[in-house]
Amino acid sequence: MAPYALSFLTFVIVPVGVALVLAFMQFDLTARDQIQYVGVRNFDDALKDAYFWQAFRATFAFVVLMVPSIVVTALAMAFGLNAMTTGRNTVRALLFLPGMFNVAVAGILWQWFYNGQFGLFNFALKHLGLPPQPWLSDRDFAMPSIVVMSLWWGLGGTSVILLAALQQIPRAILEAAVLDGAGHRALLHRITLPLLRPVLLFIVVTNTIGAFQVFGQPFLLTRGGPELATRGVVQYIYETAFNNYRMGYGAAMSWLLFAVIAVFALVQYRFLRRSAH
Amino acid sequence: MSPKASLALLFGVCAALGIMRADLPSFAGDRGRIELNFWNGFTGPDGRTMLRMIRRFNEQNPDVRVSMQRMDWATYYNKLMVAAMDGRGPEVFVIHASTLPRMHRAGFVSDVRGLFEGPEGVPQDDFDPYVLNQVRYGEKFVGLPLDIHPQGLYGNADMLKEAGFVDKDGHPRLPETREEFLSAARKMRKDLDGDGRPDVWGFALTLWRNNFQSLMPQFGGRYLDEKGNADLDNPGNVAALEFLSILQKEKLVPPPENGLGWVGYRQKKVAMVFDGVYMLGDLQRLNDMPYLGGPIPLIGKRPGTMADSHVLCVREGLDSRRRQASARFIKFLSANSVEWAGAGQVPARRSVRQDPEFLKMPVQSAFARQVPFMLYPPRTTILFELTLEIDLAVEKVMRGRTNPAEALRIADENAQRFLDRDRRERGTMP
Repeated sequence: MAPYALSFLTFVIVPVGVALVLAFMQFDLTARDQIQYVGVRNFDDALKDAYFWQAFRATFAFVVLMVPSIVVTALAMAFGLNAMTTGRNTVRALLFLPGMFNVAVAGILWQWFYNGQFGLFNFALKHLGLPPQPWLSDRDFAMPSIVVMSLWWGLGGTSVILLAALQQIPRAILEAAVLDGAGHRALLHRITLPLLRPVLLFIVVTNTIGAFQVFGQPFLLTRGGPELATRGVVQYIYETAFNNYRMGYGAAMSWLLFAVIAVFALVQYRFLRRSAH
Repeated sequence: MSPKASLALLFGVCAALGIMRADLPSFAGDRGRIELNFWNGFTGPDGRTMLRMIRRFNEQNPDVRVSMQRMDWATYYNKLMVAAMDGRGPEVFVIHASTLPRMHRAGFVSDVRGLFEGPEGVPQDDFDPYVLNQVRYGEKFVGLPLDIHPQGLYGNADMLKEAGFVDKDGHPRLPETREEFLSAARKMRKDLDGDGRPDVWGFALTLWRNNFQSLMPQFGGRYLDEKGNADLDNPGNVAALEFLSILQKEKLVPPPENGLGWVGYRQKKVAMVFDGVYMLGDLQRLNDMPYLGGPIPLIGKRPGTMADSHVLCVREGLDSRRRQASARFIKFLSANSVEWAGAGQVPARRSVRQDPEFLKMPVQSAFARQVPFMLYPPRTTILFELTLEIDLAVEKVMRGRTNPAEALRIADENAQRFLDRDRRERGTMP
């Protein structure tokens, strides 16, 4: 316990505390002689910063597209896997495999898939007699393309968790419901989904938090473009802190992002917990 | 031995080796030898050339050992900043002239004016004043420019010859004027399969921002005015961006979603591109690429292109032995920069550019003809934000979402806001 507590203190508590202090400071790495306390000015600046709101819009777009997609698809995958009598482990392993890639590897791979000239997808479209698509270079296509890549990358883990939860449902309950005359739809809505709610709560909350923190996928696939359409808040924070060296402002934006995530997570938690009861 | 004891022993050995590696360079019999760490972002073929030069320096200077650390430029600047802030940075490092203002303000780049002094000093007049001014802060010089890397025009020799662009001896040549350039772009654009879409393009944009910046000086454009305020929407910049938008409107460049550019040029799907002299190393690796390189054609009112320099810098706070060794190393690289030019660079020193060996390098020496007409990125600490504004303006225009004047007006407003913020925070607001 002690080593864990020590590392938690060193790598989580202390940095969080430092970030909190920084958020109230004018702290530019290139002008360390002018570090000063500025109160809530960084927060005020962030709320007036058009690029901050633009980054939030891009992040929301990702969250809104990603979270329902991954929950529904993973649920469907879990049901499919649960119904399989042979080859389940193989399919489960294949589904889980993409999640084992580092985001950089996945990003580079999908960059090639999406390449306008030489990419796999446009190659397939060409062979089907269809025109090529601007997967990453068009404002309307770019974010959905990033979501599809993220689904491929993250689906396995979520599906496996849901599959494990499905397999935990006692057969006796399902058999009793069948004996009472429940059909497939009634089984799903009255037995399976209610019993899955605690796990679904976990899946929705963790995926929402993860989606709000999206960084690697857009950074690798589009660098935040075209025209900043896919630059999320975390990328903006990264660029502010590590390209512009404005640590104080970056820290303030981090806390604003934290506040938004906390509110969303809390609302989801309360809503789903109430439903579960 | 118990597992716990084995782990403890392993930990102890690793820790001891780590300490020795870091602090005891004389352990292997190198007592007295000065160790210099040299960091840069030369991760391409240029890195191999630099490594050769370092080996030669180490052989000629047995009392000094230079070790090179390379990483991609984006990672490099972050690491350099963090390492140098608390004095753990390398003794010698490379910084782009455009990035120097921020690094200089961070306070870890040392004044190296001593490099120019004494009988062994590097002659100041061997540098173009414009280039040397990039590293000058009042009386101080915070680095020595190693090279110049201007943008220029690359062309596919076979395609140019086929299109009739030949000199009096029948050798392929690059277009030199606006009319020739547009004519070449039209002639070499080809629809091979008859589907109404070109399969081969006469010209393609590479990094849009750089392509725009390469044209800016030709139309009299600039980034900042005399007072250091943003001037991105000046008529010269608007005219340069208008030229690019004409290329797009007349379908003389692939559409934005196409993704061709440098890769298309390498694959012979594009006949001409604008790019930096540093891309030469990439072409030299291709066996069957008949390339030509030269100045950006005269598209505007006067010759001009965008350029930058790799600047050799020394960390603040070195002891005199390390400082002298660093100076010796920097002078060596500067004096031997003709070898560096072979990797795809133009030497910063005039005398080296007159070296017969350099003059025999066709692309580098052709790019070097642009030296009197170069425009470096502005000397500003908000370079990243300003660059992003230029990126956005060019992107909006090339996607047909707005006109050049409006796009640059917005970019200018935003850039001024960033400049004002920076001045306010530094207490230098007039």
